[in-house]
Amino acid sequence: MLDEGTGMKLCLTLLKPVLGVCLSAGVAGAAGDLSGFWERRDTAGSGAWENIDAKIPKAVLLRPAEANGGGRGSAPQPADSAKHAAGQPYIVTNGRCGTMGLPGAMAHSAALDIVQGKAETLIVGEMPGVQHIFTDGRQHPAAQLIEPSATGHSVGHWEGDTFVVDTVGLTAGGGIPGGGQKSRETHLIERFRLLDGGKRMTVTFTWDDPKIYARPHTYEYTYFKDPDGSYAFEEWRDSGDPLQKQSIVPRE
Amino acid sequence: MNHASTKRTRRVLAIALSVASGCMAASDISGFWALRFDSKNVPMAELSPKVTKAALDAHLRKDADAIRWCNHLGVPFVMDDPSSGPIDIRQGRVEVAVVSNVVSVARHLYIDGRKHVNPDAFDPTTSGDSVGRWEGDTLIVDTIGIAGNRGITSIPGGGFRTDKSHLVERYRLLEGGKQLSVTFTWDDPDVFRVPHTYQYIYYRAPAGSEGGTLACNPFDEQRTSFLTGTPK
Repeated sequence: MLDEGTGMKLCLTLLKPVLGVCLSAGVAGAAGDLSGFWERRDTAGSGAWENIDAKIPKAVLLRPAEANGGGRGSAPQPADSAKHAAGQPYIVTNGRCGTMGLPGAMAHSAALDIVQGKAETLIVGEMPGVQHIFTDGRQHPAAQLIEPSATGHSVGHWEGDTFVVDTVGLTAGGGIPGGGQKSRETHLIERFRLLDGGKRMTVTFTWDDPKIYARPHTYEYTYFKDPDGSYAFEEWRDSGDPLQKQSIVPRE
Repeated sequence: MNHASTKRTRRVLAIALSVASGCMAASDISGFWALRFDSKNVPMAELSPKVTKAALDAHLRKDADAIRWCNHLGVPFVMDDPSSGPIDIRQGRVEVAVVSNVVSVARHLYIDGRKHVNPDAFDPTTSGDSVGRWEGDTLIVDTIGIAGNRGITSIPGGGFRTDKSHLVERYRLLEGGKQLSVTFTWDDPDVFRVPHTYQYIYYRAPAGSEGGTLACNPFDEQRTSFLTGTPK
């Protein structure tokens, strides 16, 4: 029979090479491990997400008339943008398979899957469009070399227990929770931090843009860790399927 | 050693083994991987007598429709297309993610020791339910639950995927990590007479490579006219 001390020594002997491999793989070497599925939680079940969007501070805009702060920050679909006469039906969704981008992807009701590798962390949703966060020490390319995209160009690093992600190169337009929209000069900083032993994660979003914001606009979301063994869904849409077109009739 | 300390030691040992299963992969296949003109070794598939020309034609029409409407293209196409840039394979503690630049959801290859989701509970997707394990230096990925009627269904070498398709992939680094060999084996009693196997060699893209998602607008009239019109 082993005594407790010998047993623990045996365990630590087993752990040592394992941790060595983990460190070399860069997973345990990071200050935190964000891996897994995360989702915002609508505990009241009302669909209002406990009124989270109303609690987001209003952005201080340079030109308030241009405020376009959507609650979830999603860009309107082409079918949404037309004027709708009272009593006339119009299509509210055409089943278009859009690409998820920022900030909508982080505000989506579906789970986010974070895959943390050595040189890159991915934030994967249930639709096309993945945020690639490079952690290999690279810098952003020169602004004129970046092709704007829905997820932009992101680089990340750890500051203590906080994963700091810096994003530029986002497609102009759309809406940002609290107000404002994106331009070619928009700069987003996200700060990811684990709480409650990894059961919760806060992400603080700070948007800055010399043409849109009078001062940086900051708000925070809290995400809850899904159980181990959770798996990805696919949000399927098919623009070619007539059944996916849905219409609505505005009030007279 | 009393009961409590034995339990404590077992708990530490369990944590050690759990960490080991997550971290002690034989290799890290992370990186951006590109196909070249000479990357593919694809023999003709031996199709089941049940596969008619009409069925093959119907799948080709379905595939063209998927492209025209910017549907999620899915497996195997996301592993196939050299024209849309390198795929991003990222190996984490729980899973290996595979991200392609074509319109598609990411693939999730779970390497945390789990089994397949109960097929009765799993809603088929264009990338299916994939679980992987390491055998020496080879990552073996087993995929079921692929939606047979969504995305590009054609399989290189002939045939198509259905709800019953079963895919086994074997990922192995070659040439000191400069190349990645992936052997694909498809099995489906409704489509193949014998399992259909082909192999790709991917080349590690230069350091600093990056990915993105190619835009696709199903309401772009010029694009639609090109895809559905008569070639001029």
